[in-house]
Amino acid sequence: MSENIFNRKMGEEYDTVFRQCVSLNTELHKLVPLAKQMHLLSSNAVSSAARAGTEGDAFRVLTQDIQLLGDEVSHCISDTQKIIKEVVTLASDLARSFSSYITYLDLFNRLDTEAMKTSPKYFERGQKTVVDDIRDNNNKLSRSLGTLNTLLSPVATLVKKGEYLAVCSSVEAASAGEHGVSFEAVAAMLRELVGQLGTQSARQRSLLRDLSDAMEKQQQNQRNLMYAR
Amino acid sequence: MRVEHLFNKSSHSWTVMGRDDDRRKEVIDTNQYLIQHNGRGLLLDPGGVESFSAVAAEFSKHIDLADVEAVFASHQDPDVISSLSLWIQTNPDLLVYVPKIWVNFITHYGVKIENIRPIPDEGGSITVGGHDLEVVPAHYLHSPGNFSLYDPKTKIFYSGDIGSAMLSDEYSDLFVGDFGEYTKSMEYFHRRWMPSNKAKTRWIAEVRKRDVEMLCPHHGAIFKGEDVEKFLAWFDNLDVGSALGSVS
Repeated sequence: MSENIFNRKMGEEYDTVFRQCVSLNTELHKLVPLAKQMHLLSSNAVSSAARAGTEGDAFRVLTQDIQLLGDEVSHCISDTQKIIKEVVTLASDLARSFSSYITYLDLFNRLDTEAMKTSPKYFERGQKTVVDDIRDNNNKLSRSLGTLNTLLSPVATLVKKGEYLAVCSSVEAASAGEHGVSFEAVAAMLRELVGQLGTQSARQRSLLRDLSDAMEKQQQNQRNLMYAR
Repeated sequence: MRVEHLFNKSSHSWTVMGRDDDRRKEVIDTNQYLIQHNGRGLLLDPGGVESFSAVAAEFSKHIDLADVEAVFASHQDPDVISSLSLWIQTNPDLLVYVPKIWVNFITHYGVKIENIRPIPDEGGSITVGGHDLEVVPAHYLHSPGNFSLYDPKTKIFYSGDIGSAMLSDEYSDLFVGDFGEYTKSMEYFHRRWMPSNKAKTRWIAEVRKRDVEMLCPHHGAIFKGEDVEKFLAWFDNLDVGSALGSVS
């Protein structure tokens, strides 16, 4: 495969990675209103518990858990977005370093060793710098993808926790007499939000798998070219 | 590819390379200059990423590139210095003389601040192998932070983008031939890229203070002998800043 085609192919693969990062980021943004709604819901739940007086004591404990659930979703979003930004920067640096690597290959093809006053070692140093950069950035990228995976994994646990809280709220609603109507409304809303969170979580995990696959492909192609020479 | 010595006497030389036929056609052709004095080298506007391999391969025949101690960047454009990070990868100690106002911009090319030597607005001098070269302000022609470079020993004046022309691929000469005909390939470039008549007049006066035998631009052919004054007179009479006329 000629260097130009390789270079173009690497560019296309970087575009794929970039698009996947954007998609993942977009999906994460969809969680922002969800987290806000959870906070709003927890405020409503606190009001309902207060109106119920002593009959709302057990439900009040649940409202704190709903609020914590919202906080955890918010933290997860902001941490994940930071790592996505890192991944985009690293992928961009890799694309640039790789382009430099191709430039050095072109240079070595052009060198007229018999006429040269410059030692080829002079250029080898530049090429080595680029290869080291590529290796470092690839390692960093693998670590960032691992971190992304770690950050997104707890979302599934949060969904389970939300479902459990919704069930507990329904149980409280059933035993709270006339105040049970407002408790049940909170439980229903929570079920709805947690359902959305579950759907989003599944979508994000699928996008993350695609992103990891694309990065793996890009890295493999780089290795193939660099070690084949 | 054309490569020539513009001057080569007693351990002092100027080498130019240009008219790179192998470049991608959508990339503007550029002239690169190498000054050597006592075995030390200075590169003038070494070009974009696209031309790095051609420039490095060619100049490696004329000097041990490890002896090139500095790069002069007349201004910040990509065709002038986007190759900087590649030059610094091969020589981490390379000094980069750049207009002060562009320092925080050219770091976007991947250059570290330790390599940069800012040139103040009033200009100054650059020393290579013990030989002093004058750095002459050329602000707003076309870049707001822009310099020319004069070598009193050779009487060669590097003018950067001033005096540049957009030549067809058929024009293979390194020097200007028929000056009258040649102005056709310079006029649009100067009227459109140069924004200020006042800056133009001031720069022309600066050049005329010096004894100039060759005026060497970054694009196009080199002016030699009488063509230097012909160019200055032609430029003096040209009304620049043409894009203003197309804005309502």
